[in-house]
Amino acid sequence: MKFLSTTPAVFGLAFSALFTVSAPASATECIAPSNPGGGWDFTCRTIGRILTELDLVDGNVQVTNMPGGVGAVAYAMVVNERPADSDLIVATSTVGITQIAQGRYPAPIDAVRYLAMLGADVGVIAVDNDSPIDSLGELTEIMASDPTSLVTAGSSGAGGWDHLRLLMVAREGGLDDLGALRWVQFDGGTDAVTQMMGGQIDVVSTDLGEIAGFVESGDIRILAALSDDPIPAFPDIPTAISQGINVTGYNWRGLYTGPDVSDADYAAWVEDLETVYNSENWQTAAVESGLTPIWRGGAEFEKFVVEQAEIMEEISRDIGVIE
Amino acid sequence: METLSLLAQGFSVALTPLNIALLLIGCFSGTLIGAMPGLGPVNGVAILIPLTFAFGFDATSSLILLSAVYFGAMYGGRISSILLNIPGDEPAVMTTLDGYPMAQQGRAADALAISGVASFIGSTFAVIGLTLFAPMLARMAIYFGPADYFALYVLAFITIGGIAGVDPRKTLISALLGLMIATMGLDPISGIPRFTFENYHLYDGVDPIVALVGLFAISEILLLLETAARDRAKPIGIDSWLPDLRAIWATRWTVLRGSFVGFVAGVLPGAGASLGSVMAYSMEKQVSDKDGTFGKGDPRGVAAPEAGNNAASGGALIPMLSLGVPGSGTTAVMLAMLITLNVQPGPLLFERQPELVWGLVASLYLANFALLILNLPMIGLFSRLMMVPTWALLPIVAAVSFVGVFSISNSIFDLQLMVLFGVLGYLLRKLDVSLVPLVLGLLLGGDMERNLRRAISISNGDWGVLVASPISVTLYVMTALFLALSVWLALRDHKRVKRRELLD
Amino acid sequence: MSVRLAGVAIFMIAALYTWYGRDYTASFGDVLGPAVFPVILGIPTMILSASLVVFPSGQVAWPDREHGLRQLAALAVLLGYALLLRPLGFPLATFGLIAGIGVILGGAPRKAMILGAVFSPALWALFDQVLGLPLAFLGNWFT
Repeated sequence: MKFLSTTPAVFGLAFSALFTVSAPASATECIAPSNPGGGWDFTCRTIGRILTELDLVDGNVQVTNMPGGVGAVAYAMVVNERPADSDLIVATSTVGITQIAQGRYPAPIDAVRYLAMLGADVGVIAVDNDSPIDSLGELTEIMASDPTSLVTAGSSGAGGWDHLRLLMVAREGGLDDLGALRWVQFDGGTDAVTQMMGGQIDVVSTDLGEIAGFVESGDIRILAALSDDPIPAFPDIPTAISQGINVTGYNWRGLYTGPDVSDADYAAWVEDLETVYNSENWQTAAVESGLTPIWRGGAEFEKFVVEQAEIMEEISRDIGVIE
Repeated sequence: METLSLLAQGFSVALTPLNIALLLIGCFSGTLIGAMPGLGPVNGVAILIPLTFAFGFDATSSLILLSAVYFGAMYGGRISSILLNIPGDEPAVMTTLDGYPMAQQGRAADALAISGVASFIGSTFAVIGLTLFAPMLARMAIYFGPADYFALYVLAFITIGGIAGVDPRKTLISALLGLMIATMGLDPISGIPRFTFENYHLYDGVDPIVALVGLFAISEILLLLETAARDRAKPIGIDSWLPDLRAIWATRWTVLRGSFVGFVAGVLPGAGASLGSVMAYSMEKQVSDKDGTFGKGDPRGVAAPEAGNNAASGGALIPMLSLGVPGSGTTAVMLAMLITLNVQPGPLLFERQPELVWGLVASLYLANFALLILNLPMIGLFSRLMMVPTWALLPIVAAVSFVGVFSISNSIFDLQLMVLFGVLGYLLRKLDVSLVPLVLGLLLGGDMERNLRRAISISNGDWGVLVASPISVTLYVMTALFLALSVWLALRDHKRVKRRELLD
Repeated sequence: MSVRLAGVAIFMIAALYTWYGRDYTASFGDVLGPAVFPVILGIPTMILSASLVVFPSGQVAWPDREHGLRQLAALAVLLGYALLLRPLGFPLATFGLIAGIGVILGGAPRKAMILGAVFSPALWALFDQVLGLPLAFLGNWFT
């Protein structure tokens, strides 16, 4: 049995030497319904870290990755297996709500309890610096009069949030035949922007955070920010509302918990998350990763989510993404 | 020469005692994480990101630790490729082709040393390319449109045809099966589920790691069971604990060619390290496989893909840093890591935070150097795995594979899928169908389809767009030349064999 | 014969794949649609596998009965592991996996069990404690 002793012993020693700090796991768990590295993973890991730093939970928050069906697997698991687990929170965002609104989750929108959103990425409509289009008004005019002349793109598929936001703008600007507008999916906002710089596409609709560097460098121009107020980091970018197009398109990051969690536990979570939101730690972490800190919590947030899902469902039906 | 002084400054920042210690620890633990089937650089870095917070390291030190883990894990993936015929991560697939046969012939130490040196030279090549040409190459990569990417994937799949296997029809079928599996899941363009059998677990498609580990690790167990218990599966053993330096020197031109091909593949955003290793291997095979030794334990078959994939992952940093476009899973994690450290990659990064960029380049370089220094003496230790009898080694490999996959996805379904892929892998291997094209089809298929559809969407249905750009035409000409060369070589070999038969 | 059978099997899979793939439609926005690429893949696969049926290449030697049974046993252990991992918890299930595969591969039962007893808690500690990837120590049968 000599071979058994040497090699693993060396490995084991090395590991234990490296990781002697592993903190005791607490009961609190945050499920990121994606692989490590994505936006949901960021939500869980950052909020989990801050919950620990502020001593709102005992020990570390355990982050579990449960990818599958753009969040559907985790959603089904919470609803079916852990509906009353008050130590469990799950990351979600506008992307997840879009999926629910289009009937792609195994349970309806009100099957879980939505806790809060703590930040959001703002949607923008961008064109190349050399583009002849100078304002949102010009863009909506072209879209309404000659929709097939433009190639639009973003980081979601057809019917995804980047696409829906653009269609909301187009519809507000007078385009009736929404299906006539061509949409090209790319794997990320920066992919779409670089393809636009290479002259392959005309218009990009996506989140600002990821592509802010290209705006600062002057490679692309933002025609409109889909926010209520101008973005603090880019006060010169006009909102769509200020240009007469009454559309907002945030991509918020938030959390939900099981449907049978008691009202007291639910309220405690909302309170803890509000403490996280107001902390310096979150304000810094959010801005660093391109998010605008925005708070909506408790009943107000649940109402907001349901309303947003209804709007998405309606548009998806209008354009034929769902029957 | 401003970049050189900036790079020198990067090195001076990186070379503190704490950072050197982190470098060594990171390389070592990264190598171990990478050597475990199912855990690769993506998981290694993702696991360690919170740890750098826990210690409160500054940006440079965190960057050094994570780059060291990243490269360590990349290197670790080769160890299981060579010793066990189980690639630890995606880009290591090509290394099984000649690495495992070498180990079976008792040359495990040589294969490990060659892969270490080739990796080192490949990434050195990429770092030099990065230092000299980064901003220029990034601007050129922008003009690569969807139609050009499609042409690139066509070229890749045609060259795969020449990689392995006796019957080219079987190689093609294998690649097509991989492409078919790649279409499973939610279609990212239209959002509709395809070939998911109404099962939510298949909505994200088949995770390449699950397929990879199942196809290689579990089929290996089934294959060994055909003979195990008959001869009590004696360990293979090794001829020498020390690598043969002449064998390494003999691969010098192979390594340089592989580095160049890999670097070019890496600079294109989206292509990534897997494509780099495929192209490097198949080009090398065309250039220098005169006696048909590739696939049977030729050292050049280890050197070329290793140099290629490391040069590619270095090259992939160019679009990642200057455009913020992650080319592959691994660069995506690097990107996440930079963002966590408050570095926003993009067109202004080189101007705004030059000290961080060159600090990163310096730490990548040092990580490679540390890896070379650290791993050459460890070859003896790793080769010792070959002495472990199969009845003890394979159960542990199986357990590690299962736990590696399960700990990331928490999915019982993935474990069952892995067993299913094991059976598929076993059957295909029995039928002399190489598994490598299948894995590559699975890895590259999604991008290939999406770029085809993007191109046709942009042209509004005109297929002429596929040959409308000079880049795609060039790539198709290269594909045609490659095909012509393969046919010519095959005919020549055929004649040579005939002549030999006549002489006998 | 085996190659021919495999050719038939692959042909059927490709045919079913093409058949299903043909029907996928996207309502709008996507010119080529989700169905074309599957058809582009399915048809050459059908042609190539049909050619394997007509002109098979290579010989396959299948294992004898005893080794075939061992392979089935190994598959049973692997699948059993996937099914029992949650009920039993990680260390116990992994002990069964390592010991079981070890015995099937021809190891002495006592040694294989020692191997499992050493490595299953070690792996649990490595992943759960050291790497921070949570694995249940005891399954839901015990809690």
